[in-house]
Amino acid sequence: MEEKGRIGIPRALMFYRWFPFWGTFFEALGWKVIVSDGMRKKEKIVYFEDSCLPMKMLVTHAVQLRDRVDYLFIPRLVSLHQTYIMCPKFRGTPDIVRLATEGKVPVIDETIDLRKGRNSYRESFTEIGKGLGASKNESMKAFKEAEKSFSQFKSEWMERVNGLPTGQLFEMEIPTPCVGRKLPWRVAFIGHPYNLFDVDINKDTLALMKSLGMEIVTPDLLSEEEFNRQISDLSKEIYWSSGREIVGSLFHFLSGGVDGVVFLTSFKCGIDALLQEFIKRRLKVRGGVPIPLLILSFDEHAGREGLTTRLEAFRDVIEQRKAEDT
Amino acid sequence: MKVTFPHLGSMHIFCKAIAETAGIPYIVPPETSRHTLALGVLHSNECICLPFKIILGNFIEALRMGADTIVMVGSGPPCRLGLYDLVQKVILEDMGLHYRWLTIPPRLSWQAVWKNYEETKELKKELSPRNFFLFPYGLWMGWKKMMACEGLEQQAMGVRPREINKGETQRRLKEALVGVDEAKTPRTLEEAVRKGKSLLQGVEQDRSRIPFKVAIVGELYTVMDPYINRGVEQKLGELGIEATRTSWFSTHIMRSVRRRHLSERVRFLEASKTYLGYDVGAECNVSIGEAILRSKEGYDGVVHLMPFACMPETTASGILTQVGKDWNIPILTLILDEQEIEGRIQTLLEAFVEMLEWKRRAA
Repeated sequence: MEEKGRIGIPRALMFYRWFPFWGTFFEALGWKVIVSDGMRKKEKIVYFEDSCLPMKMLVTHAVQLRDRVDYLFIPRLVSLHQTYIMCPKFRGTPDIVRLATEGKVPVIDETIDLRKGRNSYRESFTEIGKGLGASKNESMKAFKEAEKSFSQFKSEWMERVNGLPTGQLFEMEIPTPCVGRKLPWRVAFIGHPYNLFDVDINKDTLALMKSLGMEIVTPDLLSEEEFNRQISDLSKEIYWSSGREIVGSLFHFLSGGVDGVVFLTSFKCGIDALLQEFIKRRLKVRGGVPIPLLILSFDEHAGREGLTTRLEAFRDVIEQRKAEDT
Repeated sequence: MKVTFPHLGSMHIFCKAIAETAGIPYIVPPETSRHTLALGVLHSNECICLPFKIILGNFIEALRMGADTIVMVGSGPPCRLGLYDLVQKVILEDMGLHYRWLTIPPRLSWQAVWKNYEETKELKKELSPRNFFLFPYGLWMGWKKMMACEGLEQQAMGVRPREINKGETQRRLKEALVGVDEAKTPRTLEEAVRKGKSLLQGVEQDRSRIPFKVAIVGELYTVMDPYINRGVEQKLGELGIEATRTSWFSTHIMRSVRRRHLSERVRFLEASKTYLGYDVGAECNVSIGEAILRSKEGYDGVVHLMPFACMPETTASGILTQVGKDWNIPILTLILDEQEIEGRIQTLLEAFVEMLEWKRRAA
């Protein structure tokens, strides 16, 4: 199929969960998908607004793509769940990006709000297809293909996380390797996906953990019901889907099944700041947990030394706990 | 039972009036101070927004003074305000403070009614029939007092830029508000309002002065509470600026009670459409829309207030930079946090006013 043009997807925010879907969709429609490279050594963060680090990353990546593509794909992610919503900052992302790129490139800013109904995700993508000149049938076909690729990707996710370098997790052409080696510790890796897998934000914590002999478990393994079960007794319902995922999976893993839990946040993340306080206090009120918990908060520092020290200490704690138990 | 409530501008006068009139024992937390903030900061973390810290500080102080029942206005998604109670409850529990919690629902729904029933089951036993009987009257008194306070504050905003002796308006406003607060019956209240109005009218004024007009927009807590914004409203007025705002306690209440009152908000939302394609939540779109409309109305500038790390207003501040350029209106964003920045705010405002003067001279 001949190429219709280039669509740029910034390597930021929900890219780190939905790219297999989004990328396949546009490719199936005959567009070339260009993903931004991220911060190489010399790149600088673009400060358009005084927002959280992941948001600054989005703007930086979008500016990077500005001259290389025909369209930028920045969906307005209001909700990616039937009931719960995304962080309010996501609602303004296309507008922020449009201003930051000075309107030099058209932005595909279709609103995605799954609260509207079961089919709303498909409808949003049909609309996107229409905007790109595709017929309804073509869009539907592309949507099905994207769904297939997404579920395929999800089923191989744990192998990918443990077997591939962090930078290659979302390179779809790289096949999932077989993990043969058994690592001594199982550690849960919790946070927003864009904090967990963006090496520019977390200085590749994932690789560091793996090199310290930790097998990674992510919340993706858990079901929606499990999250709900863990947080059903709260005095008020948490209404951010990402927040539910974080608190639910934290409580799940802290009640057993892993040797340690690492929780990643970035500075100025509003949801994490509030929930982090909640988690800490609740654990304290309930008398603590036997499983070590490490909370790492990231900002724009470039050094990795502090991180290494803390992770090594964390590993030592796990080791000690295990030795005491056996 | 001793009821307490957080401070928010002159909201305590409203809450106090309800409790007092209905004969319910209450404790007004000490006026928000450095100590209140220090308590809030100590028991939360750095990226939680400022209102959270101040409200928490108010509660801690009130509980230590002997209050045992917290009354707090609930809120909903998408901003963090909706989950304050979830986290504050755990924090208070962890601190070993005993409390009962009563949420005033932001909107009437069956969940809200059910929650209210659950929460008040125990509390009701401690109230006498007299309390119940007088409660509607208390509400009415509270509402009257609040409207009186807001009327006086609005009047002061008009008088302040023309006053000859700096600070006189503020002094008289305080006196007038105390009068309203102390009124016990509708008749004494009316008397107090009349006295307050004439007090403010009596301020010596230079009527030839043509003050600049500046709109204060932003997150409601920072706009409404003079402690949190370090008296931006008063400072602007004393620099000879007529400041206005549309964020009042009553407007926020009316908004959740009656839909008709939404019209002004709808107008702001409409105006923000060119810059922001979706309702981000809280006051984000309103801030942008109000800045645009005020610029059209011929205002000289806009002061945008927000707490550090506020999620919706951060988006607004990014967009407001562009609004300022496009509409040629100076916009000053002040990000408020726990640091003592009163002096800095004064300097920034002075520079802002000088800029407005240059702009007027150039035109």
